[in-house]
Amino acid sequence: MELCDRSAHELLDLLRSKQVSAEEVVQSSLQRIAVVDGRPGSLESGEETDQDRRTVHAFISVAAEQALDQAKAIDQQLAKGEQVGPLAGIPFSAKDVFCVKDTYTTAASKILANFKAPYTSTAVERLQKQGAIMLGKVNMDEFTYGSSNESTAFQPCPRNPWDTSRVPGGSSGGSTSSVAAGEVPFSLGTDTAGSIRQPAAFCGVVGVKPTYGRVSRYGIIAFASSLDCPGPVTRDVTDAALMLQAIAGADPRDSTAANVPVPDYLATLEQGVKGKRIGLSPDYFQISYMDAESGEIHQKPVQEDISAAVYHAAEVLQRMGAEIIEDVPMPNTRYGIPAFFVISRVEAASNLHRYDGVKYGYRTPSAEDDLRVMYRKTRNEAFGLQPKLRILMGMYVSAAQYSEQYYNRALKVRALLRRDFDQIFDKQGKYQLDALLTPTTPTTAFPIGAIYGDSVLMQYSDQFTVTANHAGIPGLSLPGGIAADGLPIGVQLLGPDFSEHTLFSIGRALEIGTQDEVWRLQKPAVLR
Amino acid sequence: MSEEITPEIFNHLVTLAALELDDKQAAYLRRELNQQLKAIHELESIPLDVDLKITTHGVSYSLTTSPVLREDTWLPHPNPGEILAQAPQVDEQYIIVPDIPHEKLD
Amino acid sequence: MTEYEVVIGLETHIQLNTKTKIFCACKADSWDDEPNTNICPVCTGLPGVLPVLNKAVVEKGVLLAKAMHSDIRMRSFFDRKNYFYPDLPKGYQISQYDLSLASGGYLDIPMPEGYTRRVTIHKLHMEEDAGKTKNAGNLRLIDFNRCGVPLVEMVTGPDLRSANEAAQYLIRLRQLLRWLDISEADMEKGHLRCDANVSIRPKGSHQLFTKTEIKNVNSIDNVKNAIEHEVERQIREVEAGNRVQAWTLDWDEEKNELRKMRSKETEADYRYFREPDLLPLDLTQAWLDEILADFPELPLERKARFISEYKLPEYDADILTGERNLSDYFESAVQHYAGDPKKVSNYLMNDILRMLNESGKTANQLQLTPTFLAEILTMVDAGQINTSTGKGLLEKVETSAKSPRKIVEEEGLGLVSDDSAIRAVAEKIVAANPKEVETFRAGKESLIGWFTGQVMREMRGKADPKMATKILMELLKK
Repeated sequence: MELCDRSAHELLDLLRSKQVSAEEVVQSSLQRIAVVDGRPGSLESGEETDQDRRTVHAFISVAAEQALDQAKAIDQQLAKGEQVGPLAGIPFSAKDVFCVKDTYTTAASKILANFKAPYTSTAVERLQKQGAIMLGKVNMDEFTYGSSNESTAFQPCPRNPWDTSRVPGGSSGGSTSSVAAGEVPFSLGTDTAGSIRQPAAFCGVVGVKPTYGRVSRYGIIAFASSLDCPGPVTRDVTDAALMLQAIAGADPRDSTAANVPVPDYLATLEQGVKGKRIGLSPDYFQISYMDAESGEIHQKPVQEDISAAVYHAAEVLQRMGAEIIEDVPMPNTRYGIPAFFVISRVEAASNLHRYDGVKYGYRTPSAEDDLRVMYRKTRNEAFGLQPKLRILMGMYVSAAQYSEQYYNRALKVRALLRRDFDQIFDKQGKYQLDALLTPTTPTTAFPIGAIYGDSVLMQYSDQFTVTANHAGIPGLSLPGGIAADGLPIGVQLLGPDFSEHTLFSIGRALEIGTQDEVWRLQKPAVLR
Repeated sequence: MSEEITPEIFNHLVTLAALELDDKQAAYLRRELNQQLKAIHELESIPLDVDLKITTHGVSYSLTTSPVLREDTWLPHPNPGEILAQAPQVDEQYIIVPDIPHEKLD
Repeated sequence: MTEYEVVIGLETHIQLNTKTKIFCACKADSWDDEPNTNICPVCTGLPGVLPVLNKAVVEKGVLLAKAMHSDIRMRSFFDRKNYFYPDLPKGYQISQYDLSLASGGYLDIPMPEGYTRRVTIHKLHMEEDAGKTKNAGNLRLIDFNRCGVPLVEMVTGPDLRSANEAAQYLIRLRQLLRWLDISEADMEKGHLRCDANVSIRPKGSHQLFTKTEIKNVNSIDNVKNAIEHEVERQIREVEAGNRVQAWTLDWDEEKNELRKMRSKETEADYRYFREPDLLPLDLTQAWLDEILADFPELPLERKARFISEYKLPEYDADILTGERNLSDYFESAVQHYAGDPKKVSNYLMNDILRMLNESGKTANQLQLTPTFLAEILTMVDAGQINTSTGKGLLEKVETSAKSPRKIVEEEGLGLVSDDSAIRAVAEKIVAANPKEVETFRAGKESLIGWFTGQVMREMRGKADPKMATKILMELLKK
């Protein structure tokens, strides 16, 4: 096993006991990038080559020299016996929506391709303060609008390390690819409808969508401000706990970062699941999807090996002392996507207003004499189709004459979705659950090109994850097996507000309970 | 409900959004919008309690979990020049954009 | 001939005089700064930034709402008002829409003619200011320094009935804003900005007719002037059989005329929705009590009290409540002085106001404190100094910050009431002027004034003039 394949907590042990240096750790990651990543995404990528189709393209930019300099500085401090941060020497990647001072922060869009952030986001700042080393920025769907990474303006788009003909999921696909392919042990992603958990499931890694307000959004290019949650992507639950520990907590620069103390996640990590009440809901084992022709909503069960993996996880947890409660009703689950279509678009359209060619980013080279023409040309030339689609839908459903019919109604549906969770987590209620166990996704990673372009079907792949964004509650996706198609399966744990510590301990128990299973030995194709 | 985004409504939205689309883009986007709208119409069949409380965020904040407001203390940004440096066109500290040409009054 | 009634409503934007902007820690006032230097990622709308509400903005907003008799909402919300404009960096303005800080309210405006006009308040909400743009040929220059300066927007009902009433409203509003220390309220500097909605209707009608909106007026005189012009224009149009159209008009100060502004490209649909980057604003009773604990007596209430309690003429009371420091100064001086408050008023209206105008100070900045002023008045009343010495002392105290009594002692400014000293001088004057003595004794007793004057001159004004007259009479009638 190479250094870069080790988890962060293992690396920290090695670093602290001086068995390895930070420089070696960073070098190992850089070597892995050189082997598996291929050429970085760019605006002028030209023809896709066979070589492109065999590599993961997680990164948009790699800051190799800076990272090595930081690693050397940490090594010097360690050599002198000086105090270093709790994550000193751990490499991480950040989705390219996290602003980092003096580095390009593009949101994978042409409109921000030349934007050099003059400030650093809170989450990155906190990781750096603890000594973690940013190796680079990773690719994503343009402005996070997608579930496959195909919509990035920086091609070639990221590919799934388990099968490079498949999508890594999205929108944090660069994050999950970079972690799954062993390029970094930590990656920062964002989750608005499932954008951390869905690609984590597709790439066989751990992804956490923390409670809304648990992690500051300051410095993160916004999609839908009431739903966006930054969170960790790691290879195991322990690392996820370690990483969330570093980035969580109130922030005077984010008015929605809750004033709630951050518990010691590692302290409760190994406490097991004895007595924990974990629910299964039939509403999370079937998906609704819309027939493109008729517009009718159909239901079908999730992919069989995925539901089998979830039930298997439940059995494992039961064996370890958890109580499994079946048939928990979550009747409004199916409305998560339609409500998301409305709420997220209204916020997204507004959040994209600022990209107008005036202050930063792209400005059209033509239209020198009319401001309005400048606006239109700039936005037309530099936004891809997905941002345009979201802007137009947002404009439509928030127009004065429609907003009652659509926007306010969607907000009420969000309240219903929240109520579903309030009822099952109610300590005096009928179910009194500590967590709900569900599939993360209805399918495993789909082939590149299979769904792209069908914006409705693409969105429906977030059906089991978007509910947590509506409700604001935390969700954890972790590997639960390998499907018949050889692709990873993700299982999801959903819990009440600020119950990340409980989700971590359940997730950790599941890891322990399945550690000897044969699927655990399988590796992503790019590493075989 | 069979509401549809007609080409007229669509063009109005494009103007409001400060966009400008070629025909191919327009055709794709309008089709997708109408597909999404069909999905959105599913919301209309949901019975909603009259007293259902709308909130901006799923998580509810209490007085103790809400962050405190900012004190009125001046903290100048260390490098305003770096902000200005991002602008496509700057002259003598001003950001420059084209004017809105005058229209005839009446 | 039809008689017309004028119907005016005013929309005011009030820049609050907080130290910092509403959502970031840049300073609020950048009047003297180079363009785009008082900016940060938040107020320039860089990708990823978030607003954090300034507590002082809420506090000042609450004070204004209270003064306008508005209902303060214990929970209010911020909303996004979306539109494209180059001085609006985020492409939306954070404002308050349906559930703003306060609702309703009114301000009673006493008119110089003697009646009172009640002006209702339709809207009162907090929001952020935009940047400034200026034209240079076919280019537009943008300065973001002003972005994020806290504003309260306040909209009146269509309650004002003349240009003069509109002017009086602005005068009283400006007085109130300064009184409460919530805005510098300088219209020339854009601290207080006003758009006027103007329409006319036949007298007796209660209908509201099509209005025009006058924008960009930067002084109270100009508001009055612009409205008068517009009323005349509307009457001309109607008399000519035309309809008034809902135009937006621009006031050209130099040419003293109204111009029609470019018609807007599309009907505004701001697509308001709740600002998801901010939580609802909750006022607790404790906080509200704290904000309102020192809520001052308002100028009009104080004016009435000055008239009834200190028996001041209305004219004096009006001036002495024009500005809060002056008003507090007056009241403090009256409390340290046992005599007639009108005497204090006279000193203030004549001398102190002149000192303030010349120095640019406010009354609370004077070294000549209300206590010192009272001391001067008391010394004059007691005959310890004469009136002109008293007036001279005002400047001396102001420059030296010494107590008036001490200055009188040090400089020997006190009146001489020592009989023998005055008698010696009087005898000298009588001896030196035999011709005048003879004339006096022949019956022209009015010459006593001349003799007293001579004594006063000899003693450089320090003699007690009453005593000098008495001694001279004694000597002359001997």
